[in-house]
Amino acid sequence: MLKYTIRRLLGMIPMLILISIVVFTLAKLMPGDSLSGEIDPLNTNPEYIAEMREKLGYNEPLPVQYFDWITGFLQGDFGKSTRFKVPVADVIIEKIPNTLFLGVMSLLITYILAFLMGMYSGRKPYTIGDNAIAGVNYIMLAIPSFVAAVFAIYFFSFHLNWFPFGGSVDILVEEGTLDYWFSRLHHVLLPALVLGAMSTASYTQFLRNDIIENSRKDFVRTARAKGTPLKKIYNVHILRNSIIPLVTFLGFDFAALIGGAIITETIFTYPGIGQLFLDSVTSRDYPTLMALTMLLSFLTLAGNLIADILYGIVDPRIRLD
Amino acid sequence: MASTTTISQQKKPERSLSPWQIARKKFLRNKLAMASSIFILLVTIMSLSAPFVANFLSPLPDVTKVNIGSMNIQPNGEHLLGTDKSGRDVLTRLFYGGRISLLVGFSATLIVVTLGTLVGSIAGFFGGMVDNILMRFTDFVLNFPFLVFVIVLNTILYGIVDGLWVLILVIGVLSWGGVARLVRSKVLAEKENEYILAALSIGCSPWKVIRKHLLPNVMSTIIVQATLIFASMIVAEAALSYLGFGVPQATPSWGNMLSSANEPDVLQGKPWIWMPPAFIITLTILSINFIGEGLKDALNPKSLR
Amino acid sequence: MKKNKSLLWLFAMILVVSAFLAACGGDDGDTGSKDSKKEDGTTEDKAADGEPQKGGTLVYGIDAPPEGLFSTAFYGIQTDFDVISLFDESLINYNENLEPEPNVASWTTEDNKVFNFKFEEGVKWHNGEELTVNDWVFAFETLADPDYDGPRYTNVQTIEGAEAYRNGEADTISGVEVINDYEVKITFDEARVNNLTNLWSYPLPESVLGDVPVAEMSASEWVRSTPIGIGPFKVDKIVPGESVEFSRFDEYWNGDVNLDKIVLRVIDNSSVVGALQNGDIDMISLQPVSGPEVEPLENVEIVTYPGLSYYYVGFKLGKFDNATQTITEELPKYQSKELRQAMMYAINRQEWVDAFFFGYANVVNKPVPTSHWNAADDAEADLNTYEYDPEKAKEMLDAAGYVDINDDGFREDPNGDEFVVKFSHYATGNPTFESRAQAITQYWEEVGIKSELEMVEVNLYYDMIEKDDPSIETFFGGWGTGTDPDPSGLWKADQLWNYPRYNNPEADQLLDDALNIDIVGTDQQKRADLYIEWQKIVNEEVPMLYIAELEEIVAMNERVGGTEFDVSGSNSPAEWFVTE
Repeated sequence: MLKYTIRRLLGMIPMLILISIVVFTLAKLMPGDSLSGEIDPLNTNPEYIAEMREKLGYNEPLPVQYFDWITGFLQGDFGKSTRFKVPVADVIIEKIPNTLFLGVMSLLITYILAFLMGMYSGRKPYTIGDNAIAGVNYIMLAIPSFVAAVFAIYFFSFHLNWFPFGGSVDILVEEGTLDYWFSRLHHVLLPALVLGAMSTASYTQFLRNDIIENSRKDFVRTARAKGTPLKKIYNVHILRNSIIPLVTFLGFDFAALIGGAIITETIFTYPGIGQLFLDSVTSRDYPTLMALTMLLSFLTLAGNLIADILYGIVDPRIRLD
Repeated sequence: MASTTTISQQKKPERSLSPWQIARKKFLRNKLAMASSIFILLVTIMSLSAPFVANFLSPLPDVTKVNIGSMNIQPNGEHLLGTDKSGRDVLTRLFYGGRISLLVGFSATLIVVTLGTLVGSIAGFFGGMVDNILMRFTDFVLNFPFLVFVIVLNTILYGIVDGLWVLILVIGVLSWGGVARLVRSKVLAEKENEYILAALSIGCSPWKVIRKHLLPNVMSTIIVQATLIFASMIVAEAALSYLGFGVPQATPSWGNMLSSANEPDVLQGKPWIWMPPAFIITLTILSINFIGEGLKDALNPKSLR
Repeated sequence: MKKNKSLLWLFAMILVVSAFLAACGGDDGDTGSKDSKKEDGTTEDKAADGEPQKGGTLVYGIDAPPEGLFSTAFYGIQTDFDVISLFDESLINYNENLEPEPNVASWTTEDNKVFNFKFEEGVKWHNGEELTVNDWVFAFETLADPDYDGPRYTNVQTIEGAEAYRNGEADTISGVEVINDYEVKITFDEARVNNLTNLWSYPLPESVLGDVPVAEMSASEWVRSTPIGIGPFKVDKIVPGESVEFSRFDEYWNGDVNLDKIVLRVIDNSSVVGALQNGDIDMISLQPVSGPEVEPLENVEIVTYPGLSYYYVGFKLGKFDNATQTITEELPKYQSKELRQAMMYAINRQEWVDAFFFGYANVVNKPVPTSHWNAADDAEADLNTYEYDPEKAKEMLDAAGYVDINDDGFREDPNGDEFVVKFSHYATGNPTFESRAQAITQYWEEVGIKSELEMVEVNLYYDMIEKDDPSIETFFGGWGTGTDPDPSGLWKADQLWNYPRYNNPEADQLLDDALNIDIVGTDQQKRADLYIEWQKIVNEEVPMLYIAELEEIVAMNERVGGTEFDVSGSNSPAEWFVTE
């Protein structure tokens, strides 16, 4: 297992190098630069723009630019954001807690909801409750996250006024107090719910089917024969078996959350990595754009790796190569 | 259950049904899948017929023209779903939008399935070095964060190639990894069967074996997968257009129509502009998913419902 | 170019590039103006008039996240400036006629070359230090530093010796002479009528930044997270990209401050209406498109004031060589004045403006915002107002030889060749841009001119226009002018930003004369007359089709009082108050 993990980790290196080349090439292929789209050049003169282009090294040959970038990157120097005029690392670090919080909340909601619904459906398959849950699940699976987000804002924020429609925290509350965390929770709940909807649905269905399948297995029959209460059979014996495969999805979730975050954060104006990414594309903030693309690719890679490894741990029969 | 089916079939004097016929029968009996199919069929017909029926649908049949005089009209007898901010009839645009959304979905799916099947079957069949290289490459593609790269690529190609085809190409080329993996694993399993060995031993070329023997056997998997990909491609188009990185704004597509919800006055004040595309996207995806489920059921020889 | 380099900065260019910025006008540099007297019609605050109340919190919305460069010397986008103006103020203010007025600094000058400035005593920075002229000098030296990475060197460039300081040939700027803590003498490199308006008018706190190398200033703590100023409110807390909390600065130099706190919140455009309705924000600058949605809200009041920006449709009439600062080539396609005028008559500008700016913009017939003192009055100056007249447009086209000879429904050019007008507009995520651009081409098609619309990615757009890319023929654009009304930087033949490449020596001469202190002296009326003469020429020649000037719109909750707006922006936030 360890050997496999190490091998996979080493295998990531050429992949990352390739990705870095692709990312760099793509960034260079993008039309315009941060200065051509200078949004509000009040008091900007053309010479200033030419000078800045020179300063930012846009006039160097490409391989030199790539080499400069990648060596800096490896040393943790992602460059200076052309938009915010501070090191990219600072910009990203500033936003990471928000995205992390959103991701964790979304996973939490996903697991809790899927758990409750899946358990119920699995125990009482083909009942009204099960069908209702299945119906909700189908809709959750089908409704694209951005449509869900728009609907959610429309109903819950505007009509019902239950949730705020943007931001990550109310600035008026004191940082670190209970209120502060409550406010953050309040802000993150709706986007997290939307972000987690799709996986919630698939987990629920998975759990349901797995529980049904397991309930027909021999060990359940044995347990029953021994007189174990039905409740215990479900909550302990079956659940333990059904929950394990779910764990393996965690890695894939990781990767899925990245794409999801771009959409949800943008719609909910939740200041995180996803929103930063889109902004960096529109404002041609290349250092930020490249660093983020690398980061997101790395996370996807890591997510897939974790998924594979977890899979191997959970089911030793899987041949790991 | 199993025995009754067999008996009822045996009663008939005709020869037993082919797997495809069984599948069709099963599918036809699946009410949800059938209803969904009818819905998708309707949407397709309505989209294809857009240019012909536009004149009957609204007094403003030209969806590309801006009509300053008739902007933001609420749904009424004349404009059944109202008009949008450019004075274009929402219903007519919904029809035209369907053309684009379905076209993107369909073409991208075609690319994905073709590429995926090609790579997957070659890798699975030949194995060894070929498999290794192809699968590394597949991993490479799979490890790109999809949305991130689509957005970047689309920005680059915007304006160079006609916007619609850029999108199709980009989302197609970045999404075949999953299909390739799936097809490969199916081919790997199928390859072990004796009939393949037999075919090879009598001198059939590998291509012929892949085409004639392997692919038909993994076809059912591919079809089910293709349905689901079709849905996800439609979502991808809509999501990207919604974010402003998809189909050019001038082209009506469901995603583009929905993107007007981004505007300050539309989301809350003019729901008739964004709700119809939102509903039709959701219903379409829902239906395609049901059809996918139905097909999976129908094509699975073990399921007898 | 070399000669006029210094004039370039006069023209604050607003490339209205994104949905977010559509509401930003030209109120650059003077939003903090505190004693504006004029009210613009609706400005009176009906809900909360009466005695100002003490205390309370006002929630101030902005519709795009700030970049976080909270220093006048370093900021890049209007949003950041909006934040800055809540905690800092300019040494010099502008009144409703955009004439400079003393704020912290007052001045005297004999010859428009040497100025003596005198500061108020006892003005405090938010960190308790007293403001002295040294802080201003420090700002000059920062802006003139070779390591300075902001865009505002032009604002100190005209001071004598700034160039030498920047090139490292001098340790101080020779034109700046500190007399004592409250008095400074500034000498410019030559006498100009607009030296004062061009001068950098914000101090930098030497007590805080004195030890920070200039190259690191823009990334420093002080700029990013703990900015200080001399305004009525001080920054308490910044949540990057989301909100800023301000509280009353008790040692504010200029009178009482009413509010306890101002909370600034970034709010997405799509949520603005809802937020106003729910009372989540008290005050926000609106985009025209939100106006009709906000108007019916009972708890919200809309205030408009004239902006300093205008939209136009430009023609590429030539090509410009940036190295020699000359127009090198004349492009034939749109040289016919009759063609250009006919295209102007063909557009129903009023209808267009009403449809896409919802009554928050006015049709213009000249490239000078009406609020400027040198703007020509359409009637008085006898400007052609180009009333919508498609029939006249058709007649003019017929007369100019643009006739449909092959019966395809569209006109051919006088040589009988196919004639297609290519119109370019920038594209962002905002779908309205496409429809408003298309509406213009439709007007042209109605008079028989075949038109083709191209939406160009916004990051490329102005670059292509600037470089005279052959694919740009006619183009949509917007300019925001600053407080200085001189249009030279956007119009003279030797200017890069003269995008149409309009080349008329007679017009250029008028612009030169209007700035020539030997001709106009200090007589503003004399200058105005020259500018009006110039406007008559460009109104007749239409090297660009003047479309509209925007109004600035502010929405306020009815509990907000004490606000006043004019063309120079809002009054000092010190006077704002809220009723509970």
